[in-house]
Amino acid sequence: MKVLASYNIKGGVGKTAAAVNLGVLAARDGFRTLLWDLDPQGAASFLLRVRPRVKGGGRKLVRGRSDLADLLRGSDVEGLDLLPADFSYRHLDLALDGTKHPTRRLATVLAPLAEHYDLVLVDCQPAISLVSESVFDAADALVVPLIPSTLSLRTFDQLLAYVHDEVERPPEIVAFFSMVDGRKKLHRDVMARLPLDHPEVTPIAIPAASEVELMGTRRRAVVDSAPRSRAAQAYRDLWTELRTRLDLR
Amino acid sequence: MLAVGNRCYVSVGETGGLARAVELADRVRASGRSSGADIGAPEVVTRTVFDTADRRLRAAGLELAVEVVEAADGPATMVLDGPAGARPLRVPCPRPRRRYLVGDLPDGDLVARLAPIVDVRALLPVVEIRREDIPIAVLDREAKTVVRLRVGDLWAVAKGVPAPLPAPAPVPLLGRVEVTGVLGYRRHYDRVDAALQGDPALSASGVTVVDEAVTAVGGSPGGLSSSVRVDLDREEPTGAAARRVLRRLADVVEANRPGTLEDLDTEFLHDLRVAVRRSRSVLRQTKRAFDPDLRREHADSLRWLQAVTGPTRDLDVQLLEWDGLVARVPDDRRPALEPARGLLVEHRAAALRTMKAALRSAEHRRRWTAWRLFLAADADGPTGVAGVAGVDAGRPIHRVARRRARSLHARIVRDGRALTPDSPAEALHDIRKRGKELRYLLALFGPSLWPAAEVKPLERAMKDLQNVLGHHNDRDVQARRLSALAPELAHRPGGPAALLALGSLIDRLEADQRLARADVAERLAALAQIDLRGIT
Repeated sequence: MKVLASYNIKGGVGKTAAAVNLGVLAARDGFRTLLWDLDPQGAASFLLRVRPRVKGGGRKLVRGRSDLADLLRGSDVEGLDLLPADFSYRHLDLALDGTKHPTRRLATVLAPLAEHYDLVLVDCQPAISLVSESVFDAADALVVPLIPSTLSLRTFDQLLAYVHDEVERPPEIVAFFSMVDGRKKLHRDVMARLPLDHPEVTPIAIPAASEVELMGTRRRAVVDSAPRSRAAQAYRDLWTELRTRLDLR
Repeated sequence: MLAVGNRCYVSVGETGGLARAVELADRVRASGRSSGADIGAPEVVTRTVFDTADRRLRAAGLELAVEVVEAADGPATMVLDGPAGARPLRVPCPRPRRRYLVGDLPDGDLVARLAPIVDVRALLPVVEIRREDIPIAVLDREAKTVVRLRVGDLWAVAKGVPAPLPAPAPVPLLGRVEVTGVLGYRRHYDRVDAALQGDPALSASGVTVVDEAVTAVGGSPGGLSSSVRVDLDREEPTGAAARRVLRRLADVVEANRPGTLEDLDTEFLHDLRVAVRRSRSVLRQTKRAFDPDLRREHADSLRWLQAVTGPTRDLDVQLLEWDGLVARVPDDRRPALEPARGLLVEHRAAALRTMKAALRSAEHRRRWTAWRLFLAADADGPTGVAGVAGVDAGRPIHRVARRRARSLHARIVRDGRALTPDSPAEALHDIRKRGKELRYLLALFGPSLWPAAEVKPLERAMKDLQNVLGHHNDRDVQARRLSALAPELAHRPGGPAALLALGSLIDRLEADQRLARADVAERLAALAQIDLRGIT
């Protein structure tokens, strides 16, 4: 089982859209896929039409006292299941803090699912916290959407430094461009330069397109609601790139 | 296990297709708190079911199929269903092949799950099922799918290797309504399932779709069986009893012949030869029931059949055992043996061509037709095809079988006692051959004639003896066959290194043979202790 975390310290950069679209593509490719909505906002759960509620809350879950089988929900896409969000996840740091080996807890929660799933996608909270440290420990890779702007790059450098310097078993990092406006020179310049300086960054660009924004209204992945759009093709390219870089079979 | 509910109903009414789907959607909406039932676009799916000739997957509660969705541009999907309640394993794959060996399967998980069941048998197309499905998504208040229904009209098309000619017409099957739960929405599934159970136009499906389809196209759901279980009466005349057993064995030969000619997997030829070997043994053990001239003629035909199929089988065994043999050689010498394997593959291809020609020959047809006529003849009827009845023809089978069992047992014990450490390998091989005769007698006639409690100790002792004799003999045969490759191998690229490695392997086989011989005396002594007075 491989674990990919859709992660960025900044919010509103396209983490959930990426996680949901990649989840659908993975399931359609035959991977038994679980999407874990770890964000208390519950955006992924909303998009997949699942109530953001976990019996017993996040505390019971991370302490290993929940029966995972009772919490999982099948999505409308065969082969894609969801471990929903819960508003109690806003206190997940506190819940982890009270456990032994807090940075290993999420990996421990996921371990029993290895016989049922080939791939877990974690839609993460936008934060740098004990929860994210636990995600870094559990994940094989971080999938990082980047808006091609100066401030965004700054936080990306901070993330790289943190992961390489502080994380015991650093996950691989695969970054891609998100919410791209091709009319902006800044965006074009950053996209041209950054992959040359950073091998973690792919040149794949998800456009700032209405199809992506309409996910919230349609409550469907772009790859399903607008399969011929540029955004859908970009997500497919991203999935192909991930399969190659991470040897997902 | 992450189980989801799944049930299949048979549609007994005349309404089919879209009309049925609309009816069901209305029933579901009326049944509970779901917000709706969304009828989707029709899907046409062709599903080719694969299994071994002897339906091992079916026996294990599994179903393997390649699905092609019409109007979809993507690849086909290989689906493994089962055990009941588990989610299917779905893997993209190219369009269905003529056959799959386990190593051909497109996914490691599939291989890992199926290899222990399938072993060396090929996965062959059993039947093709064409479904025209109308999917219905039962929705909750969030318009989320919580139960999936499929209303299907189905047809079956016969499949086989080689493909039947002319192409068979599709045979209509009973309509189906399939209800499948979505993980985490069990209450919705139970509610919908209860509504369907109350529908008078639906009934629980008594047989699987695949079994219904196989039967509809004239096949047998259990597949090809090479087992021989003929219920005999103790007092049945030996001539008639032997013929019944021989007819069943002839059926097994014929059932395995097409797979042998198509070279689908090694087991078809193996089972064919076992049936021939058993037939020869039955003829020998009941020889006094038959006309001696005719018996000799048909024994010669069976020997001919054994001989023309022998070289291919011998090479199959060598190749099947190759990896195990090579593992006996030091790591650094193993690559050097590859030319020897290549030579075996070439020899096998040549032997296969010769065997196919023989099995398709007029001579084989003539011999086999005569054999079948002989078996069909009434032993008490006029002479002609059946010839003159032998002295044992009218004797009760239990007496003849008892006499033969005791005689074989006594001979094996006597020959065993005469063995010395210097006895040639042939002497052990002769004991092994007699041992096979006795085992066949016990297997083919024992279950009907004698109490299991009397037969089992003898069967166990024989099995133990045959295991060590087999081990000894197999090592002897392997060593000699590998030695026979040497002259040809010497002139091949990589030949000298291969010969060195081969020599090392043959030494190990001969050492094994000596170890096996040490166990033979003990097993023979145990056999000598068995009391046959209960074999009456």
